[in-house]
Amino acid sequence: MRRFYLFGFLLLMSFDTLAQLSFKLAGSHALPVAANLGWLLRVFGQPWIYGALVGYLGAFFTWMSLLKHAPIGPAFAASHLEVVSVMLLSVWLLHEPLTTPRVLGAVAIVAGIVCLGAAERDAPEAVPDIAG
Amino acid sequence: MAPLTLTLWIANVTFDSVGQLAFKAAAGDPHAGDGLARWRHMAARPWLWLGIGCYVVEFLVWIAFLSLVPLSEGVLLGSINIVAIMLAGRLLFGEKLTRLRVLGIGLVSLGVAIVGAGG
Repeated sequence: MRRFYLFGFLLLMSFDTLAQLSFKLAGSHALPVAANLGWLLRVFGQPWIYGALVGYLGAFFTWMSLLKHAPIGPAFAASHLEVVSVMLLSVWLLHEPLTTPRVLGAVAIVAGIVCLGAAERDAPEAVPDIAG
Repeated sequence: MAPLTLTLWIANVTFDSVGQLAFKAAAGDPHAGDGLARWRHMAARPWLWLGIGCYVVEFLVWIAFLSLVPLSEGVLLGSINIVAIMLAGRLLFGEKLTRLRVLGIGLVSLGVAIVGAGG
């Protein structure tokens, strides 16, 4: 059963990461940002947006299956930990600099998510955040 | 942050929170019943549709936002949504803010502030 959770959380993280990377690439290929039809056509006219949709749907169904059995606290925390994988992949694939504020900020955010995950475990009436 | 980037960031957290709260209001309705009847009940009321509408707008706002900032920075700044939804849940649904939750909210906010100030 622990293997099942571990695999499930890794799958969730992968789908979330795929979605965020695809969002970024879809947006970058649709610049400049404008509130008009032209921008929408640029966003939906290239393949990355569909990667984002696959990532979103995959994450949604993985999350729902996990929630059937997994304790809500760790599930909540795991569903937000993709910030770390996305940050590391941005450095590797998009050649973004790993600045000191980003590293410090990420450490504080992850510590906060862990606290919130522990808090959810202690207070089971909480609402899960399915948006990731 | 440039004015357009800041506007998109605020729009994202706003639509995300309103959407989540609308889904919570739709799903938590005690008169909704079960199974198919529950879905029919939800579809006949505005909350579910408000939530879906917010998520569609948020989807586009988030793409626009990420195209203007580095992705590593964008996902970290987006963590503020966790804080907003916790506070909104406290205000509207009376969910408890335990010590551990307050600590978590503080740490996530601190992290977002560090990234926002320093890049």
